[in-house]
Amino acid sequence: MLVFSQSLISGLLIGGVYALIGIGLTIIFGVMRIINFAHGDIMMIGMYLTYNLFTLAGIDPFVSVAITIPIMFLFGALLQKVFINRVLNALPQNQILLTIGLGLIMSNTMMLIFTSDYQILTTSYSSSSFRLFHISISQPLAISFVITAGITALLYWFFMKTDTGQAIRATAQDRDAAQLMGINVKRMSIIAFGLGSSLAGTAGALISPTYYIFPQIGSTFTLKAFVITVLGGMGSILGATLGGILIGVAESMGAVYISSGWKDVVVFVLFLLVLVFKPSGLLGKSRA
Amino acid sequence: MAILEIKHVSKFFGGLAANSDVSFEVAQGSIMGLIGPNGAGKTTLFNCITGYYPPSRGDVIFKGNRMNGLQPDRVCKLGMARTWQKVRPLAKMTVLDNVMVGALCRTSSLKAAREIAMEQLHVVRMEHKAGFLAGGLPIGERKKLEMARVLATTPELLLLDEVMGGLNQAESEEIINLILDIKKRGVTQMVIEHDMKAIMRISDRIVVLTSGEKLTEGTPEEVVTNQQVIDAYLGESHT
Amino acid sequence: MAINTKENKAAGGSFITTGTVLSLLALLALASVPSVVSSPYTLHLMILLFLSTIMGQSWNLIGGYTGQYSVGHAAYFGAGAYTTMILLQHFQIAPWYGALAGMGVALVVGLVVGSICFRLRGPYFVLASIAVAEILRLSAMNLKEITNGAEGILATDLPPFSIGGTVITDFSTKVPFYYIGLGLVVLTVVVTVAVQHSKLGYYFQAIREDQDAAHSLGINLSLYKNLALGLSAVLTSLAGSFYAIYVGFVDPPTVLGLDISVQIVLICIIGGIGTIYGPVVGSLVLVPLSEGLRSNLIASAIFETGIVSESSPVGNFLKENLAHAHALIYGILVVVVILFMPDGVLGFAKKLVSKRKGGRA
Repeated sequence: MLVFSQSLISGLLIGGVYALIGIGLTIIFGVMRIINFAHGDIMMIGMYLTYNLFTLAGIDPFVSVAITIPIMFLFGALLQKVFINRVLNALPQNQILLTIGLGLIMSNTMMLIFTSDYQILTTSYSSSSFRLFHISISQPLAISFVITAGITALLYWFFMKTDTGQAIRATAQDRDAAQLMGINVKRMSIIAFGLGSSLAGTAGALISPTYYIFPQIGSTFTLKAFVITVLGGMGSILGATLGGILIGVAESMGAVYISSGWKDVVVFVLFLLVLVFKPSGLLGKSRA
Repeated sequence: MAILEIKHVSKFFGGLAANSDVSFEVAQGSIMGLIGPNGAGKTTLFNCITGYYPPSRGDVIFKGNRMNGLQPDRVCKLGMARTWQKVRPLAKMTVLDNVMVGALCRTSSLKAAREIAMEQLHVVRMEHKAGFLAGGLPIGERKKLEMARVLATTPELLLLDEVMGGLNQAESEEIINLILDIKKRGVTQMVIEHDMKAIMRISDRIVVLTSGEKLTEGTPEEVVTNQQVIDAYLGESHT
Repeated sequence: MAINTKENKAAGGSFITTGTVLSLLALLALASVPSVVSSPYTLHLMILLFLSTIMGQSWNLIGGYTGQYSVGHAAYFGAGAYTTMILLQHFQIAPWYGALAGMGVALVVGLVVGSICFRLRGPYFVLASIAVAEILRLSAMNLKEITNGAEGILATDLPPFSIGGTVITDFSTKVPFYYIGLGLVVLTVVVTVAVQHSKLGYYFQAIREDQDAAHSLGINLSLYKNLALGLSAVLTSLAGSFYAIYVGFVDPPTVLGLDISVQIVLICIIGGIGTIYGPVVGSLVLVPLSEGLRSNLIASAIFETGIVSESSPVGNFLKENLAHAHALIYGILVVVVILFMPDGVLGFAKKLVSKRKGGRA
């Protein structure tokens, strides 16, 4: 039982970060109908940003989130303006290939700058943990979970209460109608891609104290992000939140009860099962 | 004899009924017109009949066989073919290749398919365009290409979804003559059309749909004089 | 826009055309290369070109002609490579039988992928194809008893190929690999041409252009998509087997990685999808480029032009890093091709030529 609750808790904690990655992908998909294959690589850039802020300027990774968020937002907005914007009406496969290409450029540029060596960001609390009802909880994961929860709450507020948030939701629902209603769809797309990148980058920052940092880490997370968003139903923020947590738990259970080598297989098999039996996502309504 | 029987067909999307309890029969060799205001469920009915999706309730019976749940390709093989309201040319293939794809439904020989295809292109008078890419054709020729392509599948029942939509007077006239020609060859047709004059001219019988239900059915004369039809549908466009 | 009808008929009607004659001449020239060229490096480059062309042609059947963008073709490549190597190392089964078995495995994997993925359209198909390839890669990592896990399988030696007691070749030079590669290129091209000139080709293209229209014209979508995928999977696995025996080593990232899947797609995208020449052109761009970078040929060429001095810091950086930059170049190429030449290099060149002609007329 202890093992079970232990792996459940660690799954939940990491699931929170997965949710951030998934929400980012789902916002981008919702507004532009583009699947961002560079999502994990954007996250990877967030990791390196955090790593360098820590090693060069001595800024704590959880504090540097405040710097990472705006920088990654600008980075994403730039990507959208320069590249993605040009393929909004292209064939879906060309959109996918473009983002794959951008991802390759990001990961390989980082490799040229920082080599492909694994970097470790060690803080004073990296390996410390505390106990709660006999369950050991990793301190950095717990902090990151709290920050994740805060960001998610802020996001919900943004989408529900602000004009821009509502405009983005309207664009996601029906691009043409939103345009007719006078919403600046182009601007919303830039904001959406910025927001999505900023969330991915933030997730990267939050996991950098607990994960190895290397240029090729992105593709694993890109795939995980897909699994999360498909599970939750493409374009649904609530779905991505739940999907992220579900994947976190599935992985951590898989690692404990099967083996850590097979945990990703568990995730992909789950993904295929959902695609076959419920392609609209676990929360989605099935189509007629 | 009825080649097609629609029996109590309903189609729901979520809680919304796009068709509810529609029944009628189409006689062999005749032209059945299907009219009704926008959103009356005409195209949905076509989709149900041709297997694009199964009806939620009721039966579609073609040549005595229950068709519910058969995939569109089986339906086509059984001799029922349809055109699309929004034309769907195979854009990066030539006009000839487009029609050959239809012809290959009946033969595996490219040579035979090419012959059938050229014949059908002759019928719609587009042989001179055989080598052009389908994606580059103007709308009138796209519609004719679509006709040639379904004809090449040698259907016994042809469902035409607004083949005159967006065409000018002369082009529409050409299509009307084509439809009458096809009838002479013994092919049964069901036609959705917004052009009232055209549909009155070509149809043997007409079914009127409003908000998913069958309002009435009859000969063109009966339909135009039916008060319900005038109120529900014709009234808005003819006054 | 218009395609010359006469030419079209000639191409469709009979196989003996100028194109066929030229191809045969090219084949003859290629077949005589090993008797003229003795440099192993040149042969190596040619073999890589062949391998890339085989991979591209194979993907083209499902991606280019049928329009189903599989970004998981590493699954079939890896299936061929691993099956061949496992049979060779564990059971001493000669690689040509191994390659046949690999085709069988790839076919089975393809049919599983097809039955899952072809219910899905557009982005979902792409995602599912990647997921299947990843499952295979992770399985190869974890099934250590069979696959040796992350360490991979090293082929110690290749049995000589003999027919009825006469040894045809003992694989001591690159020449036999050259001919195997050339033979496989011919095979994939012939299969592609045969498909193009049959009902299959018409149906594949109809599915690519418009699935609903194709369905309503009597095309059984799942049957023909699975046929295209099966054919493509089997040929891709042959490429994988060929790679395995040529290099003599397989491990999960090099034969099952996402990079391989992307590279396969890239070969076609760069050349132009849905044409026989596309994968050839794509290979002619990609292989020399990545080899030039890997062997630092491009770096030394830059030094020779004198733009950058070899001893300067920039020169040092180039020398150190250009060798690892081929994936970066791939990325840049994809972005450039998608944004500026969506029809591939070949399509782009055609457009340029026709523009010029238009200008003169």
